[in-house]
Amino acid sequence: MGEVNRRDFLSTLGVSVGTALSATAGAALPVVGVAHAQEKPKGNIPDTPFKIGHMTFFSGPAAVLGEPMYRGQLLASEEINAQGGLLGKRKIEVLKADENAGTDANVKELRRLKLSEKIDFFCGITSSGNTPALGPVAEELKLLTIFVDGCTDLLFDKAVPNPHYIFRVTNMQSADGVTAAVAAAQTWPKAKKIAHIHPDYSYGRNAFDHWTITFKKLMPQAENVSEGWPKLGTTDFSSHITKAIASKPDLLATSVWGGDYVAFYKQALRYGMFSKMKVASMIAFGVAPHAIGKDHPEGIIAGVHSNYHFTYPAGDRWPYNKTFVEKYNKRFNEYPNFQAEGGYTATYLLKSAIERANKLAGGWPEDDAIIAMLEGLMMAAPAGYVYIRPDNHQGYKDAVTGFSKNVAEYPFPVLDPDRIITIPIRNITAPPGWPKGEPTSTYTWIDKTWPKVKA
Amino acid sequence: MDFLLIHLLNSLLFASVLFLTAGGLSLIYGVMRIVNLAHGNLYAFGAYVTAWAIGGVLAGAPTPLLYLLLPAGAVAAALLGAALEPTLLRPFYKRAEEYQLLVTFGLLMILEDLMRLLWGPYPLSASALWENSGSVTISGNPYPNYNLVVIAIGLVAAVFLWAFVYKTKFGVVLRATSQDMRMASALGIDVNRVYVQAFTLGCFMAGLGGAMIVPRDSAVLGMGVDALVLAFIVVVIGGLGSLEGALAGALIVGVVRELGITFFAEIELAVLYLIAVLVLLARPAGLFGRP
Repeated sequence: MGEVNRRDFLSTLGVSVGTALSATAGAALPVVGVAHAQEKPKGNIPDTPFKIGHMTFFSGPAAVLGEPMYRGQLLASEEINAQGGLLGKRKIEVLKADENAGTDANVKELRRLKLSEKIDFFCGITSSGNTPALGPVAEELKLLTIFVDGCTDLLFDKAVPNPHYIFRVTNMQSADGVTAAVAAAQTWPKAKKIAHIHPDYSYGRNAFDHWTITFKKLMPQAENVSEGWPKLGTTDFSSHITKAIASKPDLLATSVWGGDYVAFYKQALRYGMFSKMKVASMIAFGVAPHAIGKDHPEGIIAGVHSNYHFTYPAGDRWPYNKTFVEKYNKRFNEYPNFQAEGGYTATYLLKSAIERANKLAGGWPEDDAIIAMLEGLMMAAPAGYVYIRPDNHQGYKDAVTGFSKNVAEYPFPVLDPDRIITIPIRNITAPPGWPKGEPTSTYTWIDKTWPKVKA
Repeated sequence: MDFLLIHLLNSLLFASVLFLTAGGLSLIYGVMRIVNLAHGNLYAFGAYVTAWAIGGVLAGAPTPLLYLLLPAGAVAAALLGAALEPTLLRPFYKRAEEYQLLVTFGLLMILEDLMRLLWGPYPLSASALWENSGSVTISGNPYPNYNLVVIAIGLVAAVFLWAFVYKTKFGVVLRATSQDMRMASALGIDVNRVYVQAFTLGCFMAGLGGAMIVPRDSAVLGMGVDALVLAFIVVVIGGLGSLEGALAGALIVGVVRELGITFFAEIELAVLYLIAVLVLLARPAGLFGRP
């Protein structure tokens, strides 16, 4: 590999900044949108309710990030039921379960939902600590599942390397660390000293690893000068903030999320942290938008888990988003986060797969037929095109992040509409067939295939 | 070196809150020989009440008024304690310790659900006090004024408690009951009254700890169990039943945690347990414990 200039390499990655809608190769594939008109189903369809078990955080600091995925699924279900239900007959019933109960209790609850409540489909999950435990159990129970989040690469790299019943709709976790790092490298190319604060569990470790490998390639002059690993769910960051400031970094990278992030930024403000360094976060604006106050500093990279912010794609250019945001706001009197979009899209992916399977064979399709239709499905969702890769059952959509900004239209900060950053997902994730790697396939793929740019 | 003082203040801040929770736990054990597993949830209860009072009911009131209302959580936790001891705990003093553990563990779960019922599943914040208090500059770096207030309250509470236990008649009675309940009773001390007073005082301390920290952290479900675990580390180090031990343990844990985060980030969570292990190996009853 010859020497490459940073700016040239970023442009080969297709990183675009601004209001333009990024182009995707997907337009050639057969694409259906959410909420499209339904053809008349073939054959006899039973009218028994279709039961969905939905597990996410309904309590605790994680609820401000996780609970909206339930609302997204509820909204989609209500829309589908208003048209008579799935295939015009089966009304959707959504049963709630609180992910805050802890991983062991969640596994038991999943079994109970399948064995006692006889759910047809399982959905939800926020934490990366939970999908690697629940995934194998869903496979064992032969329970059709679309995880909305819990997006650790570990799930399909190691825990369930050959998934049959389980899928996942939001972007893979490694994309998050890479997106934040690419955005930071493009925005602050002169940064040398990097401090880190990440929650000490699989998500935080993953964000740190992928940021670091990306910076090794894009910012060879930079080094990590400080690390802080607070416990997930902690609301006291005094010491981590002091340590980061004391290391006098140019840039802080952080993947603290949910209610933890709200406490973090409020504390960091009083320690004067934001005036001493640039800040790039993977997931600051992943929470329900109203959870962040107008006191939040402007101009930081305020990630949305590389998935979705309700202000993008904006206006009439992508009606799927406009109508979704309007309906969600009307129904719940708040704005959706990326989880709400994930829950909504997961429901419509399921609906689309069921309809395709029905068109081929008639009647209510077997799970295997639905699975075959989900594999390789591409759909126009509020966030853009989402593609379910057949080999690993993982959803892929172009990554998005941006800069925090207060605007007059909303009582909370949003992503600066003039500086949205998008990256085609194929350029930042390992392709199909890439060998499973350590710590993740994307990590080894970046390490082996990306050039190191000239400093 | 610019940050030495800030690190020290961070340690004292953590120690102040820890001393209040662990001190209450230790006081109750010292007098009543009960390990109150629900103690952390009295801390959480104090946090919720204060968050509710200054973040909800009186949101937007002037800052000095909010400061005056800060102890609301401590008073509420004390009242709850005064009601719980005679009704729930007293019938179990004559039974084996396992029963007391079961009862207080049940109480822990009931209180957790009660708080969820009263204040809902989401974090309850009272951040106005934190935000309005501003920052002071320490060797060129801003430091939150509110932290200094918490440290001051912690110090005052420690002095007050010491005076209370060692300089008042009630303190003499308390210590006498703690040393030999039967003898104290034979000398005409109303042991039931001492018990309810000690339990109330312990709950007041826990509630005060929660109330002080809530403007910075917000009240969340599960905070009680986290606080309980930390309080246990402190009393294991300091010695269960000893107030001096709780103070020393809180200071040790505060400093070790700050050092751990700063120099051993990778094992931040393990550092506190390692210290507890070392102390247990060297002095199984804790630094100030009665073997």
